Amino acid sequence: MREFLTTERIEPTKRLVVERTKDFGEIYEVFNHYDAATQSDRCVQCGDPFCLNKCPLHNYIPQWLKSIAEKDLEFAFKLSNEPSPFPEVMGRVCPHDRLCEGDCTLNDGHGAITIGSIETHITDEGFRQGLKPDFPGITTDKKVAVIGSGPAGLSAATYLLRSGIAVTMYEKSDRAGGLLTYGIPNFKLDKKIVERRVKLLEEAGLKLVLNCEVGKDIAFEDIASEHDAMFIGVGATKSKSAGISGEKASNVYAAIDYLTNIQRKNFKLSYEKKFDFKDLNVVVIGGGDTAMDCLRTAKREGAKSVTCLYRRDAHNMPGSQKEYKNAMEEGVDFTFFASPKEIVLSEDGKAIAVEVVKTNLGVKDESGRQKMEEVKGSEFRVKADVIIMSLGFDPAVPSFLAENGIETNSWGGIITNAETKETTTAGIYAGGDCFRGADLVVTAAFDGREAARNISKSILG
Amino acid sequence: MVEHRDLLRSFKDNCGFGLVANLKNRASKKVLDDAVTALERMMHRGAIAADGKTGDGSGLLLSMPDEFLKKEAAKNGIELPKQYAVAVVFTKNREHLDTVEKICLNNDLKIVFTRDVPVDTNALGDQAIKSLPNIVQLFITSNSIMASNRFDALLYLSRKESEHKLVADSDFYIASMSSKVLSYKGLVMPTHIKEFYKDLQDDSFKISFSLFHQRFSTNTLPAWKLAQPFRAVAHNGEINSVEGNRINVKIKSESIKSEVFSDEEIQRILPILQLNSSDSASADNFFEFLIVNGMDFFKATRAVIPSAWQNAPQMDPELRAFYEYHSTVFEAWDGPAAFSVTDGRYLGCVLDRNGLRPSKYIITKDDNLLIASEYGVVDIKEEDIKERGRLQSGEMLGVDLKSGKILKNEDINNYLKSSNPYMKWLNEHMIYLQEHVKKQYATKSNYTIEDLVKRQRYFNITQEVVEQVIEPMMIEGKEAVGSMGDDTPLAAFSTKQRNFTDYFKQKFAQVTNPPIDPIREKVVMSLNTGFGEVHNILDEIPSHAHRLKSISPIITSEKLEVLKSFGDKKSPRYQAFYDNKTFSTAYSKNLKGALDSLVEKVIDSVKNKGTRIVILDDYEFGKENKIIPMAMVVGRLNTALLKERIRHLVSMVAVTGEVIDSHGAAVLIGYGASAIYPNLLFASAIEHLEKSKTINLTTIEALKLIHSSLNSGLLKIMSKMGIATIASYRNSGLFDVLGLSKSIVEECFETSHSALHGLDYEDIDERLTTYHKEAYREDGFNKIFPLNIGGYYKFYSGQEHHDFGPDVIHAIHAFSSSGKKEDYEKLKDIVNKRGLKFIRDFFELKSDRKAIDISEVESKEKIFKRFASAAMSLGSISPEAHETIAIAMNRIGAQSNSGEGGEDAARFNTERVSKIKQVASGRFGVTPAYLRSAEEIQIKVAQGAKPGEGGQLSGHKVSPLIAKLRHTVPGVTLISPPPHHDIYSIEDLAQLIFDMKQVNPHAKVAVKLVSTIGVGTIAAGVAKAYADKIIISGGDGGTGAAPLTSIKFAGNPWEIGLSEAHNALKANNLRGLVQLQTDGGLKTGLDVVKATLLGAESYAFGTGVLAIVGCKMLRICHVNKCSVGIATQNEKLRQEFFKGQVDQVVNFFTLLAEDIRSIMAELGFKTIEEMVGRVDLLKVVEDKFAQKFDFSSILHQEEGVNTCQQKSNPPFDDNAFEYDVLKEAKVAIKHPEHPIRINRQITNLNRSFGALISGEVAQYYGDKGLKSDTIKISLQGIAGQALGAFLIPGVSIYLEGVANDYIGKGMHGGKIVVTSQNQGEAFSAGGNTCLYGATGGKLYITGSVGERFAVRNSGAIAIVEGSGDNACEYMTGGIVAILGRTGINFGAGMTGGVSFVYDADHSFVENVNRELVEAVRIDTDEGADARHLLKNLLKDYVVETGSEKAKDLLGNFRVEVRNFWLIRPKNLTKLPLNLENGD
Repeated sequence: MREFLTTERIEPTKRLVVERTKDFGEIYEVFNHYDAATQSDRCVQCGDPFCLNKCPLHNYIPQWLKSIAEKDLEFAFKLSNEPSPFPEVMGRVCPHDRLCEGDCTLNDGHGAITIGSIETHITDEGFRQGLKPDFPGITTDKKVAVIGSGPAGLSAATYLLRSGIAVTMYEKSDRAGGLLTYGIPNFKLDKKIVERRVKLLEEAGLKLVLNCEVGKDIAFEDIASEHDAMFIGVGATKSKSAGISGEKASNVYAAIDYLTNIQRKNFKLSYEKKFDFKDLNVVVIGGGDTAMDCLRTAKREGAKSVTCLYRRDAHNMPGSQKEYKNAMEEGVDFTFFASPKEIVLSEDGKAIAVEVVKTNLGVKDESGRQKMEEVKGSEFRVKADVIIMSLGFDPAVPSFLAENGIETNSWGGIITNAETKETTTAGIYAGGDCFRGADLVVTAAFDGREAARNISKSILG
Repeated sequence: MVEHRDLLRSFKDNCGFGLVANLKNRASKKVLDDAVTALERMMHRGAIAADGKTGDGSGLLLSMPDEFLKKEAAKNGIELPKQYAVAVVFTKNREHLDTVEKICLNNDLKIVFTRDVPVDTNALGDQAIKSLPNIVQLFITSNSIMASNRFDALLYLSRKESEHKLVADSDFYIASMSSKVLSYKGLVMPTHIKEFYKDLQDDSFKISFSLFHQRFSTNTLPAWKLAQPFRAVAHNGEINSVEGNRINVKIKSESIKSEVFSDEEIQRILPILQLNSSDSASADNFFEFLIVNGMDFFKATRAVIPSAWQNAPQMDPELRAFYEYHSTVFEAWDGPAAFSVTDGRYLGCVLDRNGLRPSKYIITKDDNLLIASEYGVVDIKEEDIKERGRLQSGEMLGVDLKSGKILKNEDINNYLKSSNPYMKWLNEHMIYLQEHVKKQYATKSNYTIEDLVKRQRYFNITQEVVEQVIEPMMIEGKEAVGSMGDDTPLAAFSTKQRNFTDYFKQKFAQVTNPPIDPIREKVVMSLNTGFGEVHNILDEIPSHAHRLKSISPIITSEKLEVLKSFGDKKSPRYQAFYDNKTFSTAYSKNLKGALDSLVEKVIDSVKNKGTRIVILDDYEFGKENKIIPMAMVVGRLNTALLKERIRHLVSMVAVTGEVIDSHGAAVLIGYGASAIYPNLLFASAIEHLEKSKTINLTTIEALKLIHSSLNSGLLKIMSKMGIATIASYRNSGLFDVLGLSKSIVEECFETSHSALHGLDYEDIDERLTTYHKEAYREDGFNKIFPLNIGGYYKFYSGQEHHDFGPDVIHAIHAFSSSGKKEDYEKLKDIVNKRGLKFIRDFFELKSDRKAIDISEVESKEKIFKRFASAAMSLGSISPEAHETIAIAMNRIGAQSNSGEGGEDAARFNTERVSKIKQVASGRFGVTPAYLRSAEEIQIKVAQGAKPGEGGQLSGHKVSPLIAKLRHTVPGVTLISPPPHHDIYSIEDLAQLIFDMKQVNPHAKVAVKLVSTIGVGTIAAGVAKAYADKIIISGGDGGTGAAPLTSIKFAGNPWEIGLSEAHNALKANNLRGLVQLQTDGGLKTGLDVVKATLLGAESYAFGTGVLAIVGCKMLRICHVNKCSVGIATQNEKLRQEFFKGQVDQVVNFFTLLAEDIRSIMAELGFKTIEEMVGRVDLLKVVEDKFAQKFDFSSILHQEEGVNTCQQKSNPPFDDNAFEYDVLKEAKVAIKHPEHPIRINRQITNLNRSFGALISGEVAQYYGDKGLKSDTIKISLQGIAGQALGAFLIPGVSIYLEGVANDYIGKGMHGGKIVVTSQNQGEAFSAGGNTCLYGATGGKLYITGSVGERFAVRNSGAIAIVEGSGDNACEYMTGGIVAILGRTGINFGAGMTGGVSFVYDADHSFVENVNRELVEAVRIDTDEGADARHLLKNLLKDYVVETGSEKAKDLLGNFRVEVRNFWLIRPKNLTKLPLNLENGD
C-alpha cells in the first residue's frame, strides 16, 4: 500500500472517440487485474478516510482497495457488496470526482485513487468469476411492496431480500431499472448490467410487476393491505421548465423524453420517430449530467451539430467534470456564459433558435457559488433545429400520496423521518428522488438501504 | 479504593540514604557523628518545606547505645537488666502510653521506665512544631524469664497489637521497639537533628552502627511518622509493584504458620502491613515480619529483593535454583530500590535488579564501613581507604557484626545456594507445562471455535481489529503501531460497542520512579508464571516446590489441556495440588446476580471440593447466553476469595474471547489471573490466515508470532510501571478505572484508582445485551460481509466518534486558509455541538457576574502569550513544517517547541527559533548552546501517546540534516530510552532541573507529565524540585508513532489530571510557585476556557497545529510517506506537497483568541488570570446521561491561590561555589587568548560543576566554545553529582579525588580528568550514568565507574578502568575504552560508536548484549586501525592521568592487545577510527 510516490494515477482506457461515437457501447474499458491492483496499492489507508466519509453509502473503500491490492478479489467483492446494493452500477455512474475521489487525500496533486473504476472492476470481475452476493431466499412470512424500480427501489429490495423478506416491486414501465434503464444512456451504463442485477433479485425472490402504475393499474390500498410495509421510490420525473417564451414549441423536448426514446430505440422497441435527430442542429439547454447525456446521445445519433448552452462556465457546471470532458472529446460545442431568454419561433410555431444573453460571474455567494450577472445588450441567437431542455426534475406527485396521508413539501418532495425514512404514514417509507428531488443514484441507493434497514427492524423486531 | 480527597494530599518519597558501621561492633561516638555528617551532606537529596526549616524528614536507626541508656535509667534509679528493650513512641495523647503498657503486660513484658526524650524545638520549622508529638522512650524488660528470641517476639507482638488498637489515631506511632535498635527521627533537617535530639550530643551516646535516611517527599504535608529509617529498613527509591505486593502479602497471610508465634498470636499480629503507609513502610513491615518469625536475614532480603535470575544465563544454576524455589511463594518487591536493612546482628545493603539507585561504599583500614547514595558524605582520608566500591544491579553487601566480617555479594550467594538442596527439590517437584506439550499450535482443530462470527461480533472483533491489530501481530511478531494519538471518547461515554477492558487505563511511571526498557534491558524481565497453592512462607520444605510452570501467562490450547490433565482425576498425571474445575462465565439475565452466583460456586468448590485451579471459560456463549466481562469475573473473584481468606489456595485461568491485545491480557493479570488462553484471538487469526492471499505463514508460525506479540506487549505494559516480573505485576491493579460505578470498583477492582464513577452493573448489562442482540441480529445487513467494519482506531462514518474526523479537518483547513470568522464558526459548530463525548462536554459555563463589552477584555496579543505548539521534533516532522510553525508562533508572540532532536544553530536568534527547547530521554542534540538558546526548557518526562515508553527513529529516516542536529551519523538508528537515565527518582529530577538552571539561568524549566490519577502528587513533587512550570498532557494526545495499545489505553484525559494537579498543588501550598499548562485536543475557545477554569494558565496545541499546516490525519506518520509533506523527510513530498503557511497558523490562533475573548466577555471576565482555577463557574449539564457520572473530583476546588505568583522558582542551592569560579573564569571568557588556571577544593555539595561556566561560554561562542584548555580548573576533593555537565570546548576540569553520579552528562567538549591516589579497577571513582547524552569532549577516570556508563553517548571519548552493568547502552557515537571488568548487558541498543574492553580473565563476552553489536579481536590485519587508535588513546590517557594500568598495558602492548575486544554495531560499515580524518 501507499505506493502513490512510485505509481501514478491512471484512468481506465477509453475507447477512441471515432470508434465510440459510432455506437452506444460503454466508452470505458474495465480495469484488468493488474491495473486494479497497482492502482489500489497507491491507497494511503488514511486514519480519516475522507473517501468513505464523502461517499453517501459510506462504502468500505479503503478496505476493498487493500484487498484488491492484495489480489483478494473474493474478499473485496464481499466488502464492496455489503454496504452497496449494486457497486458495479455505482462504479460507472457515480460522480466520483465530486465524491470519494474528489475528497481522496491524494487528490491534492498526487492524483486521487481511481476508486470508481476499481469499484466497477471488483463486481464485474467477481460476477465473471462466478461470485454472487448471498441471498437467503424468502425465510420470513413478511412481505414488502416497493413502488418504483429505480435505484432507490432496487436498493430497498436488495436489503429486504437479504433479510429474507418477500418483495413485490411495481414498475409502470415495461422494464425495471427506472432511471438506470431509461435515464442513463447505454454508453455510460450498459443495460445488461442493470438487467443482471434485476435478474439476481428475481432469483432471490423478487416479484416484479411491470407495466403497472400504482393508482392507475392497481389501487394503492390493495397493495397496502397485502403487505407489511411499503417503500415508495417513484423518482422525480417531472421536467423543470425554464419559464421562457417559446418553450412549448413542438420541437422543444424534455431531456428525459429524448433519452427514454433513444434507449427504446436501442432496445429495438417502439419509439417516437421525432427523436431521430440525424443531420439536425441540436441545442441542449442546461449543464448537468443529463444535459451531457443528451448531447452525447445526439452526437451518436448523427446530429449535424450539438451545442450546449450554459449560463456559467465549465468550472461551475453542476455535473461531473469527467462527463464534460467526454462530451468535449466527442465533439460537442459548448457555449458558456449564455443565459437563454427566449426560444425564437418560426412562423409555423417551430423553434428555430435560442435567444441568449451573455453573463458575467461575480463574487461568491453564501453557498460558495459565484453570482451570475447578465451583461446588458449582449443578446445573440443560437440557431437550432431541435432544442432539448435539460433543467432538472421535480417529483411528479402521484395522487395516492395525499389520499393516504403521505405528506409532501412545497416542491412535491415526500416528507420522511430523517433517520428512519418513514413517511408521515406509518409503515410507508420513501426515498430517492421523490424525497430529495433530482439527485444522485448513490443517494437513492442510500435511502433505499436505510429504509430497508428500518423496515426490517420494524417488521422483524 | 483511594478517595480523591486523599489523593490530593498523598505523596511519594525518595531520598538519600545509607549506613555506617564499625565492623568489629565497637561502639563509639564517631559512628554517630559520621552518620549525622553523612545526612547533612545529602541535604540536596531531600526537600525543605516553605518555612525553610521543616525538612521532609530525616532520621537514624542506631544500634543500642547501651552505656547511654543505662546511664539514663540509672539517673532515675532504674538498673537495667541485660535483657531490655526501648520503644520510641510518637504520640500526642499520653493516655495511649497506658494502652501500650497494658498490652505489654498482657504479653509478659514490663515497662520499667518512661522517659520523655529531651528535645530542642528551636531546631524545628513552624510546620514541624505544629505537628510535634510527645516523643517518649519506654524501657521494657521481660516479666518472667524468657529466651532473648521470645523477648524480641513479644516486643514485636506488643507493638503490632498497640498499632492495631490505636489505628484510629494517625498521630500515634511507634518508631522502634526493640532490644537491638533504637530510632531517632523526625521532621527535622539533617543539619539540625543533633540539635533537636539532645541525646545525640551526649558523649556517652556510643553506637556501633547506624542506618540513616534523608527524605524527599512530593507533598508539603510531611508527618513525623513518615520519616525513615523504619524498624529494619531505610529505603531509597520507590516500590513500583507495591500495590501487587500488598495484596500478595494479604494472600500469603492466609497460610502463615510460625515457629515463633502461636496461631492465635499470628492472628493478633495480622495484618502484616500497616494501613495507609508508604511503599517503603510496607516493605519494612514485611521484611521485619519475616525476620521476627525467624527467617534467615539474607534469605529474607533476597526473597523480597531478588536479583534478576529468570533470564540470566550467566548466573550460577544453584543460585538460580534458590531464587526459583523462593519464587513459588515470594514475588519481587520491584522498583528502584536501594535498601539498607538490619536485624541488629546483620547489616545489609541491597540494590534492585535494575541498579536504578546509587549505593556506594567505603571500607576503611580501621574497620569502618560507610554506605551512602553519594561519595564524600563523610571525610575519609584517601590513605585510610581499604576499598571504595559500589553495589551493582541486584547485588547485596552484608556485615555480620558478631564475627566482624564483611560479606560480599558472592559470599552471600554461596551461602544462599548451599543452605538447602533447592536444585534437587525443584528437579523432583516442579513441572514445566512446556515439557508436556509435543507440538504447539500444530493442530488447527484445537483452535477452532463454534459460532466464530457471532463471537467475533459479540467480542467486538471488527474488520478493523483483524486488519489493524491481529494482522500486524501475525506478520511482525509485535504489536501494531499507529500515530496521531487517540481522539475517541472514553468507553463510558461512547455510544458504540466497546470492550470492557476499555474502561481501564494503564498506569505508568513518571518522575518518582522510572519505566524500564523491556527490549534493551529484557535481561531483568520475566513472564514466568506458576500455578498452585501459595504455601506457608515461613518454612522451607521440599514440597513447596510443587508448582506447574509456564514461561508466559498467555497459554495455548495445548498447554491448557496439559494444565487440565494434571488436575484431572482420570489422568495418570493427576496431583491434588492442581485439582481444577472449569466454570462457565455465561449468563442470560441479570449480570450482577449471575456474577454473585458464579462467585458462590467457585468459593464452594475451593472450600469443599479441593479445587486449586479455577478455569473461567466463556464456552457457553450462544444465542441465549451472554458472557460476563472476564475482568469483572476475575476482579470480583479475587476480592471475594481474599475476603474468604482462601485466595492463596487457587490460581485463576481465563479462557476468553475478550483478549485481543496485550492490554486485555494485562487487565486480567492485573486483577489476579494467572494465565489466559485467548481462544477467539487465535481462532480469528487462523481464519484470517486461511483467507489471506498475502500472508505466507504456516499456522504454527502465525500463532507463535501472535503469542510473542502478546508477550512483548505485556513486558511493555509492565515496564511502563518499572515492574520487571509478571509475578510482581499480578494483582497490582495498576489501572485507572474510568466511568464504572463505585460499587463495581469496590467489589471488583478495589486496589485501583478510579474516577468518574458512573456505570453500574445494570448499565453494563444493558450494553452487553445490546451487543449480544446485534451479534445475533438476523437481517439483511452484515450478511455478505459479516464482521462490523470498525472505526475505533481509524475514522469510519457512523461508527465511533473521532474528534479529528474529516469534517473537523476540513473545517480547520477552511478557516485557517481563509482567516474568516464565518469559516471558524463552522468548526465551532462541529466541535461545540459534538455532544457528550469528552469530559469537558459535560460541563457548561455559568458566570457569577454580568457580561461585559468585548472591548474591555484583554487583547488577543495578551492571550497569544499563553499559547504554545506542542513538542514535535524535527525528524518526526519535516524542516518545512517545523519552521513554519516556529515562525508563526514567534510572530504572534506565542511559543513553539523544538521537540526532541536538536535544532540548527542557524535558527537561534532568528524568527525561526523555537522558544521552548525540549530535553527528552534520548538527549539528542541537547548541547550547551541549544539549552542556552531557550526561553523555556521543557523536560519531557512522559508523552501522551505512549507514557512510560521510549522510541526509535529508524536509520533510514536519519538524513544528513537530522544526523547533524542529533550529533550522529546518517543512517544510524536512534533509540530513545523509556526513562531519563538521570531521573529515576524525584531528587534526580531536582538535580536535572538544577543542571538546567545552571546552563541557562534565564530560562524557565518546565516538566511535562501525562494525566493519570495520582499526577497531583507528582506535580507537587516537581514543584518542590524547583520546576517553574508543569505541563499536564492529555493521554489522548500525541502526534508521533506509538503502539496502538499505548495510544488507546495509557494515560487519562487532561481534565482529570489538570484538575488533580491544580488542586494538589493548592493543597500543598505550592500552586503559587509554578505555572500550569495543559494540552490534549484543544480546538475551540470553549475548550480553552474550560481548561482555564480547571486550572491551566497556558495551553499547547499539537494535532491542531499540524492540521492547520495541512495534516489530514492519515495516521501514517511512522512510514515516512506523509502525502502532505509534514511527517516525512522525503524530499519530493516536502518540496512539492507541503503547503502549510505561516498565515494559516496565525489565522487559527487569531480566531481562537477572539473566540476566547468573546466567551470572556459573556462571562464578564477581563483577564484570563482571574479566570484560572474558577472551577465554580463550571456546572454539570442537565442531561440524564450526564447525571449518571460523578464529576465531583474534577470540579473540586481547594482553598488557595489559583495562579503562579512568582517569576521563577529558584532552587534552594544558589550554587555560590561555581558563581565564584565563574567570576574568575569571566576574564578568559572575555579574553580567550589568555588562558586561565583556577584551583579549588570541592565537596559533594557542589553539584553540576562546569554547567554554569559552559552556559556562559555558549552564550557568546555557541557550541564551538573556546580553544582547548582556555579555562583549566583543578579541583581537589569529592565532586558532587553531574561534574562537568554540559561541558563546552575550552573548559578542562582536573579533579584529584572522586566524583559522584552523572559525570560529563550532556558534555559537548572540553575535558574531565579524574585521578585518585587509590587508582585502578578495584577503586570506584565515578558514579552511575556518566556521559549520558554526551556529544563530545573527553573523560578520563583512573578508577571504575557505576552503571550505564556512556549511556546514549554520541561523541565523547572516554577511558575508565572498570564499569557497571549496561555500559554503552543506546550509544550512537564516540569512543569508549574500559580497561577492566564491565557488568552485564554491555552495548544494549548501541547503534553507533565503538568501544574497547580489556578482558584479562576472558569473561567479557558473556556480558555483551549481542542483539545489535558484535565483539571482535583487534590483533588482526583488519584491526590495524583500531589497534593504532587504541594505542594513541592510551598514550594520551597516561599523559593526562598517569594511570598505572595504562602504563602496564602500553608497556606490554603486543601481548595485551590480544586481551582487548572491539565492540561495534553490527550494521555499522565504516568505523569512526581515524580521528585525524575527522571521524
